[in-house]
Amino acid sequence: MNITVNGDELEVRSPGLTSLLRVLRDELDVVGPKAGCEAGGCGACTVLVDGAPRRSCLTAVAAIDGAEVTTVEGLGAADDLSPVQQAFVHYYAAQCGFCTPGMVVAATHYLDSGGSDDRKEIQEALRGHVCRCTGYVKIIEAVAAARGGNFDLTTTAEGGYTTVMTGDAK
Amino acid sequence: MKAVGARLPRYDGVGHVTGQTTYVDDFRVHGMLWAKALRSPVHHAAITKLDTSRAEAVPGVHAVVTHTDVPQLEYGHLSGLGIPADEPLLAKDEVRYMGQPIALVAAEDLEAATAGVAAIEIEYEERPTLWDVREAFDSDAAVVHRWGNWYPHFEDEMDRRQIRKGDIQKAFEDADHIIQGVYRPAAIEHVPMETQVSMVVPESDGRLTIHSCTQAMYFSLGVISAHLQVPLNKLKIVGGTVGGGFGGKVDTASETITALAAMKAGRPVKWRWTREEEFLASSTRAPWHMEIIDAVTSDGWILGRKMLTLHDSGAYARFSPYGLTKHSFHHTGAYTIPHLHFDGYVVFTNRVPTTAMRGFGVTSVSFAVETHMSRIVDELGLDPYEFRLKNANRIHDTSPNRISYTDPSTVDVLQSIAGATGHDLAPAYAAATREPREGEWLPDHLVDQISTEGH
Ligand code: FES
Ligand code: FES
Repeated sequence: MNITVNGDELEVRSPGLTSLLRVLRDELDVVGPKAGCEAGGCGACTVLVDGAPRRSCLTAVAAIDGAEVTTVEGLGAADDLSPVQQAFVHYYAAQCGFCTPGMVVAATHYLDSGGSDDRKEIQEALRGHVCRCTGYVKIIEAVAAARGGNFDLTTTAEGGYTTVMTGDAK
Repeated sequence: MKAVGARLPRYDGVGHVTGQTTYVDDFRVHGMLWAKALRSPVHHAAITKLDTSRAEAVPGVHAVVTHTDVPQLEYGHLSGLGIPADEPLLAKDEVRYMGQPIALVAAEDLEAATAGVAAIEIEYEERPTLWDVREAFDSDAAVVHRWGNWYPHFEDEMDRRQIRKGDIQKAFEDADHIIQGVYRPAAIEHVPMETQVSMVVPESDGRLTIHSCTQAMYFSLGVISAHLQVPLNKLKIVGGTVGGGFGGKVDTASETITALAAMKAGRPVKWRWTREEEFLASSTRAPWHMEIIDAVTSDGWILGRKMLTLHDSGAYARFSPYGLTKHSFHHTGAYTIPHLHFDGYVVFTNRVPTTAMRGFGVTSVSFAVETHMSRIVDELGLDPYEFRLKNANRIHDTSPNRISYTDPSTVDVLQSIAGATGHDLAPAYAAATREPREGEWLPDHLVDQISTEGH
């Protein structure tokens, strides 16, 4: 079997019924997707399979032979953050960060498929993604703001990141 | 003061959003074994047989550890404070809660480890169980702990945390109303998104490197060192990234047992709990049973409070005596009450051991106190803000344990909430301040409550 992960075509040797999450984490060393429950209940393992969000813990790898998989690592890097990633940093939408890989992937898909900044719709889109730290408010704010894409992260003199508003989002 | 008022980004925010933050489960090392635990399937039982020989023979299994492998089987979380230990690292001749670890099997992969666990021969003789802290408190309840159902080792070997202040008898004689209530918040599971996990690597220089999701690295280090009887300079703990803890990761839940297996196997071992194990066997916030009886005047002064608290410790003591102590210090809430009679007990049941969670010991009593304040307001037809403002802590009031308050915020908080919710306060209450009591704010019963000492 082969799958393409974040642009790299890779051979899979694990048995076909191995979950995509285990293949990514244990065989291919792509550890962004997290194992929060391995039972479909938390969303931390969410990745895009041919552009659609899937719970990788419930996806047998044989079922997606040949597919394109995008994990949080494939959405942007530290020096090239996507709008959703920037917004999550800016709005403090990640506390412990364990739910974040799944949240960022799901939010990216929501916005890429034309999702609005309506709070209720965002809530609906992120249903089944459990976060125990933030209480969700900041996550929803971040996704709404990412719709506008009106802020930017720049590097400070000390080498840390700071966020600089470039638009008129609050 | 660059940080005050500035919008500082999280130092780890970029790592979190790019998937680059490494949690314990993201670490892999060459030759690493996977561990699986044998956990008690029953709530309370004697272990009448424990034989691991068949498990050791399962292909792929490298080590099976049980109580016989632990150099110091019992080491209490509060042993450092001189409080005796009651909890074995791995169950020996009895299990006291469902999910209690009995053995850990380290194997080439999880399948082999699971097969190893299934091959352990074990027999139980079930015993009666206790679920409710109030029932467990009764003198005729079945005894579920070798110390009895009440933790007996408070100072001077007392079986309770006790506070006596003022003259409770007189407070009740002087009261116009006696108002009582019972408050029973339930257990809460922390549900961190990252389940308990640790990985221990035996290094070639004889040290152990311990990757842990603990919230309390140095604390865990002490616990591991004591159980394993390994000096601290042989242990290196790597932590700092916690996938949610909320108090539930202060107990050293997995790393000591993982270390034991790694030492026995001579190989790195990782033990990651499933979500089911996390729900079943990880500690929770305690259920509490709190009874409050207040002596109150018709115009809304609280003269005295009698309180009984039962803190459900679950099967073992862990930090509960400490949590109850904090609880006792806060049993008047944000208010000053001169005459107090508080008895608090740490009570054992067959629940999972309970532990810290966000405001350990204090959230329960705050809930009970504020609910009770509302009950008094309802029963006497008082204004909820004015009743609270009247009794609110002020500078130089004293706490139940005679700490003189220097920076109480109750008055300001209540006035702000009244303002924000559009609640009109009578002029005297709108003008109240937290400054030391005088005049109408200093009724006779509070005169000897004022102290500038003891803070
Ligand atoms: S790990 Fe897949 S949904 Fe929780
Ligand atoms: S940030 Fe911790 S679970 Fe969401």
